[in-house]
Amino acid sequence: MTESTMPIASIRDLRIHFRSKAGVVHAVDGVSFDIRRGETLGLVGETGCGKSVTARSLLRLNPMPPGIHAGGTVEFRGAGELPVELTGVDESTLRAIRGNRIAMIFQDPGKALNPGLTVREQIAEVFYQHRADELLDDIGLTDRAGLVRTLIAREASLRSRWIERGLLRVPPLRAHRAALRRAVDDRVTDALAETQIPNPRAVMDRYPHELSGGMRQRVMIAQALACNPDLLIADEPTTALDVTVQARILDLINDLQRRHDTAVLYISHDLSLVRRVCDRVVVMYAGKIVETGPTEDLFANPSHPYTRGLLAAIPSASHQRGALAAIEGTVPELVDPDPGCRFATRCGFATPMCETTDPGLAPVAADHEVACFIHHPVPGGVGPAYEKAAT
Amino acid sequence: MQVREYLIRRLMILPLLVIGTSIIVFTLTRVGGSPIGIYLSHEMSQEEVAEIEARYHLDDPLPVQYLYWAGGVLRGDLGWSGISAGPVTQVMPDKIAASLELAVAAGIVAVTLGVGLGTFAGARRNRLPDHIARIFSISGASMPTFWFAIILLIVFWVYLGWFPVGRSTTALFTSIEHPTGLYTVDALLAGNLRAFGDALWHLVLPAVTLGYGATAIIARMMRSSLVEELQEDYVDAARAKGLAERVVLKRHARRNALIPTVTVIGLSFGFLLQGSVVTEIIFQWPGMGRWMADAVLRGDQATIMAYVLFTSVLFLGVNLVVDIVYAYLDRRVVLGD
Repeated sequence: MTESTMPIASIRDLRIHFRSKAGVVHAVDGVSFDIRRGETLGLVGETGCGKSVTARSLLRLNPMPPGIHAGGTVEFRGAGELPVELTGVDESTLRAIRGNRIAMIFQDPGKALNPGLTVREQIAEVFYQHRADELLDDIGLTDRAGLVRTLIAREASLRSRWIERGLLRVPPLRAHRAALRRAVDDRVTDALAETQIPNPRAVMDRYPHELSGGMRQRVMIAQALACNPDLLIADEPTTALDVTVQARILDLINDLQRRHDTAVLYISHDLSLVRRVCDRVVVMYAGKIVETGPTEDLFANPSHPYTRGLLAAIPSASHQRGALAAIEGTVPELVDPDPGCRFATRCGFATPMCETTDPGLAPVAADHEVACFIHHPVPGGVGPAYEKAAT
Repeated sequence: MQVREYLIRRLMILPLLVIGTSIIVFTLTRVGGSPIGIYLSHEMSQEEVAEIEARYHLDDPLPVQYLYWAGGVLRGDLGWSGISAGPVTQVMPDKIAASLELAVAAGIVAVTLGVGLGTFAGARRNRLPDHIARIFSISGASMPTFWFAIILLIVFWVYLGWFPVGRSTTALFTSIEHPTGLYTVDALLAGNLRAFGDALWHLVLPAVTLGYGATAIIARMMRSSLVEELQEDYVDAARAKGLAERVVLKRHARRNALIPTVTVIGLSFGFLLQGSVVTEIIFQWPGMGRWMADAVLRGDQATIMAYVLFTSVLFLGVNLVVDIVYAYLDRRVVLGD
């Protein structure tokens, strides 16, 4: 495979468990999928199915402990860089990727922005962290040697201590510091302007609570896309927003993604949203993938009983009042789960073997895989079938 | 609302609050007995006592007596302090200065140790350093001051002889001017480094005693609010930007965790400033606490009233400062709401 066809990230057999009082929770249990360069991939499932944990493992943001990395790999291939295995990489390499090559926007921008820092300060951090050298270039300090450069360079990369910050207020250094500020401000303004925020210079000095929800999410997006990452993780980016604002934020992400050729991993439980924006979909249930395929194919031919149940539960204008389908039962406990199919307890088609044997993903069509015995050969025995259950 | 506007409004309300407090305390003090009690002797006749009472308007109704007292305060006359054998206005500044010096020293101990320890523990939640910090702070909050003070005294003064008691070496301090009454500042103003060292040396034990209790409370508050902040989304968002853990902790989480801690710091500082009876007595520190204790025991009402006036203004002032610092730290706070 050439670089352009290689997936940007490959998750293989990822297992993330959490220690809890009741036992070890198998939150993510053997998940494998690829994210391709520039594509929009939807990661769908209900609350607690492990979709957020899976996505956060791309930035290694899951708290350990109580989390345990129980196995599997997360490989990331940034443009023009060697592949990095994120679960085992050292702290400094990881930090060079976070916010720079892989960025994330969160569900509630009101909580994901620091209430005590201005928009300018928060976005500037990204540039200080990842573009310190370019900032020094901007203010013409690259070739200079000595104390001035050292101090400004430390300030530019967020490493200065309070005593150095004190020194930077003294006249000869003050001018350099002011120049650095101006250089950063220009970049912050550009980043904000990218997200079509009106009057970015004025917004820069605001605190998050002074902005509307939609504006805050735009600030979040500006911050995430500041370094033009290869992969953007969007964890339910519109759930906390007004319906009228949702569509505009989605269009914005879509537009920026296309212009910068960024891959986007959408985490969502909103199937109609996923259908609208995603190229491919991964459906998760109780820590495992049950079905994955191109959006059109998956919505036209949902092959897993769980996916069918989810699609049947989408309300539409043609539905009668009260006629919405619901999936019977509740999500199983993920403490020491049974070896079989996790959906067996709620599945209308389950046979005894579903409870003892894990079906595993197998293709049903091009690029479309399902983990259900209805679709692939059963190891010795009679498998479930839609037709049989119907009679 | 602007800070200045808010300040002016609060300063206008302040006198009303002081008047309210002083009325309550004046009444309660009078219930405890006559203010001339400590000046009378058994040989005096009924007539003589009545004459003295009349001279000081003590035969008038209580509200009128209060007005005489309040009138005196407005003219800068706080009465005669029986225990110090001098006018209150002359004795009090030295007492306040002594307590202030001790409170600032104890406050520095408490805030640096408390915030540092709380941050250290909160960032290492439920690990060994956190447990050790917890033991340290719970002992600080639960150990009786008199006991801890005496232990310090026995170990560091009696046995080791490392630290002195009292406020200063008299010979050193009679030789220099006292424009501020704060011995460390006076010594520096006089350019006398030996005297400065001596003043600091005398401060150590009482400041540690007084500061330890406050350290404990501040550290507990700091730890719990830091633990809370570290679970917020913006901390993950900061990590997702690639920031170093040190930056995430100091620039993001600690700054916000300081907001609730500031209230505790402000209140602790108020308590430190009003003087500590036990600490001042044990370390022979000539501050407000010891003065007050003497006055209460001997029924010196002018001194008691002056003390109450001082502490009520003090706490109102401290609350004001806390409000303003709070609004500075938490941008969502609107002053005057």
